[in-house]
Amino acid sequence: MEIEIKDYKGVKVITVSGDIDMYSSPALREELIGHINTKISVMLVDFNRVSYIDSSGIATFVEALKHMKTYGGRLRLFGLPGGVKEIFGFSKLDKVFEICGDIEDAIGT
Amino acid sequence: MITVPSAPKYLCLIRDVTARLGLSVGLEEPVINMLKLAIDEACANIIRHAYKGDTGKKIRIQYRITREAFEAVIEDSGKKVTPELLQGRDLDDVRPGGLGIHFIKRAFDVVAYDEKKKKGNRLRLVKYLKEE
Repeated sequence: MEIEIKDYKGVKVITVSGDIDMYSSPALREELIGHINTKISVMLVDFNRVSYIDSSGIATFVEALKHMKTYGGRLRLFGLPGGVKEIFGFSKLDKVFEICGDIEDAIGT
Repeated sequence: MITVPSAPKYLCLIRDVTARLGLSVGLEEPVINMLKLAIDEACANIIRHAYKGDTGKKIRIQYRITREAFEAVIEDSGKKVTPELLQGRDLDDVRPGGLGIHFIKRAFDVVAYDEKKKKGNRLRLVKYLKEE
């Protein structure tokens, strides 16, 4: 898994590539929590290049969302490949997260 | 059969083997993805609960694939699992964790621990394959 951070139109975008599993999710958690600790108001996560996610990866995003909600922050996910989106749906998390089609949708939501 | 160390970095290897075996018998990609995720979750549970994070142990997976079924028997020598581990959380109770068992039960028709195994755990997973 690789993580890339960029600013897009003034918003922080976390681009994740590869497999998010029990091995890689601690690094992802550290990255997300690092931004959340600065009370970031909006954080977007680009899933376009995520090839796999397991329950520990999902748990990482649930934890991040819960932290952000405590101070009114917004976490938006976009570009979820079909298989990843299906896992969020099965877990009933597609109604919990703000899931957008692409970066422009995520910025404009 | 494969045997891997009980470390998270080897989970990708288990996923790869599972996917290749599924492909070799002509399973569809969505089915392979479910089996791969389920076996990954079962092994992650072993690392987390049976071995308590000890990466120096072994996980053994024996695959048996016929026209009728895709079967995986996963063994460890760690702490016995408790029945609660097979429950998972209510999917409406949104919180980190507790999803893995749901992924396992979704993918496999049979999810059964061998209660006769004296030391460690033996989990038998069977997915029945429908004839076209």
